[in-house]
Amino acid sequence: SYNIANAGINHLDIEDNEFAEFEDFDVDDVVGGVASDQKNVLHDHEEPSTPEQDKEAPITDEDEATVETEDNEFEHVDEDEYEGYEKDSTSKPDLKLNEGPKITFAQLPAHLRSNWESYYLELMILAGLVLYFFNFFLGRSKNQRIAETWYSAFKGPLLEKFALVGDDGKLENSQPGLMKESENVYLLWCSGRTGCEAVLFELRLLKRQDLVAMVMNLFRPQQDQVHVKVFMNDSDMDTFVMCLAAKKTANRFVREMADISVYCPEKKSAVDKFGLPANFVLMSEIGEASSTLLDVRVCSLINNIPEVIESIHFSDQYSGPKQTEDTAPSKMPEVKKMLIFNFNLPLKNGKSIVEAVEIIRPAIMLTFHCIDRVKRFRLSKEFKAKAEKNRQKVEEAFLKSTHAARAEAAAARREEKRRLEKEKILQDDDPEKQRKWEEKENKRLAKKRMPKMKAIKV
Amino acid sequence: MSGNTNNSSDSRRSDRIHRYKASAFNQNQNGEDLTPDYMNVLGMVFSMCGLMMRLKWCAWAALYCSCISFASSKINDDTKQILSSFMLSISAVVMSYLQNPTPMVLPWSSV
Repeated sequence: SYNIANAGINHLDIEDNEFAEFEDFDVDDVVGGVASDQKNVLHDHEEPSTPEQDKEAPITDEDEATVETEDNEFEHVDEDEYEGYEKDSTSKPDLKLNEGPKITFAQLPAHLRSNWESYYLELMILAGLVLYFFNFFLGRSKNQRIAETWYSAFKGPLLEKFALVGDDGKLENSQPGLMKESENVYLLWCSGRTGCEAVLFELRLLKRQDLVAMVMNLFRPQQDQVHVKVFMNDSDMDTFVMCLAAKKTANRFVREMADISVYCPEKKSAVDKFGLPANFVLMSEIGEASSTLLDVRVCSLINNIPEVIESIHFSDQYSGPKQTEDTAPSKMPEVKKMLIFNFNLPLKNGKSIVEAVEIIRPAIMLTFHCIDRVKRFRLSKEFKAKAEKNRQKVEEAFLKSTHAARAEAAAARREEKRRLEKEKILQDDDPEKQRKWEEKENKRLAKKRMPKMKAIKV
Repeated sequence: MSGNTNNSSDSRRSDRIHRYKASAFNQNQNGEDLTPDYMNVLGMVFSMCGLMMRLKWCAWAALYCSCISFASSKINDDTKQILSSFMLSISAVVMSYLQNPTPMVLPWSSV
């Protein structure tokens, strides 16, 4: 009986202002009519001894009630609404009420303006949005801190090695320093050094600013990475392709990278020859290059910080991932001589940013050692010839594959031309010209067939 | 650098400076980050069906999609794209609530 009383109270407050609205209507007779019905309803319920009357009375009341509501639909007066009102204000607190009359309310639709709790889903969604943006600013500032810590740690050494550190390529008002490509990718362009055209440091951090990406990261953990891309001068690098990488990365590279999949797809273990940890795999076109360049200093560094080294890729035919165009590319993809180092920034397991940056410092400094080594390294004659042969083979294979495509294209063009010509002739209905054209056509076809037979006879 | 035994001659060459230009080589080679584009398209689809079929959860999903694509967008992306996807998803939410302001029902509960 508690909720009935409660319901009553709600109705009471609403009634007052609504009642005020209908001052001009002569509400009395309507209320009187409704009140009288309700009274009968009340009486019937209280005397359980007369069940039939009980049954009839509510039915008749409801009919009347429905009839009335249909007539004065515009008064927005809902019979149920008045029920509570009558019961509290006019009925005297007689004994029967204390037993708590069993009043069955009609099923009320959730009232529109009454309570906000029914919008709990919307509140949860809005809370999610607030959480998302809170995490966005948090993640962005953390990425910014990591990038700035890294930049301040390496600015000094880089200034010693490069004439220009940090450039965004803009002609006017270009600010030096880190370029921010997106909330989690920062670029640092350094140039002006012997042996290499330029070096691009890419800080590929986790997408901490995106909550969804962080959740995905729980299932497929990734690491913050520093990619060092060295653009070598053409004269400073010999012709070879090699790559030392962790097993998983190696598989991905063989699948994706255009140069590795062509020149050195077979993977060799790097444990015995170089004493490197087991999870490293070597892919090398020319053994001499890899054995010379992976010298003691490089191998000792890899053994010290194996978790930092993701991949070391030297290639004079670097052209990025394989082009997935279905149509055969018309010309050879542009190729560049590059050294690419992918390092992991070990920020996991509680290391602070400064600690992680210090751990990666020797790896970054190693790149300069490698640049000088590659600059001085020259293949011996026989391996040089072997490398040239490989490149020749690739060139020919490429031309052959595109030759078929080019021949097809030429044939299609010729066909098209002939079809247009035929249409033109058929249009101008001059029999003379048509006959001549057909003769010419037949002669051409005959000529095309004739030589084949001659070849067979001889 | 203390431990470094590099040769005495300074290896810097200020005459050989190459300015940065975003060529194919220094773009993100190992797989472009496609989430902003996917999320944009998904957001458009959700807000369209949120508007047309007045599904509230679609409209909210569209709003989330445009937030995600905003978060992972590149700096040199034009902001018009992000702005338009936000406008569309917010209008989807507002329209679906104007048309019938009953609280939202999850798709699986109404079936």
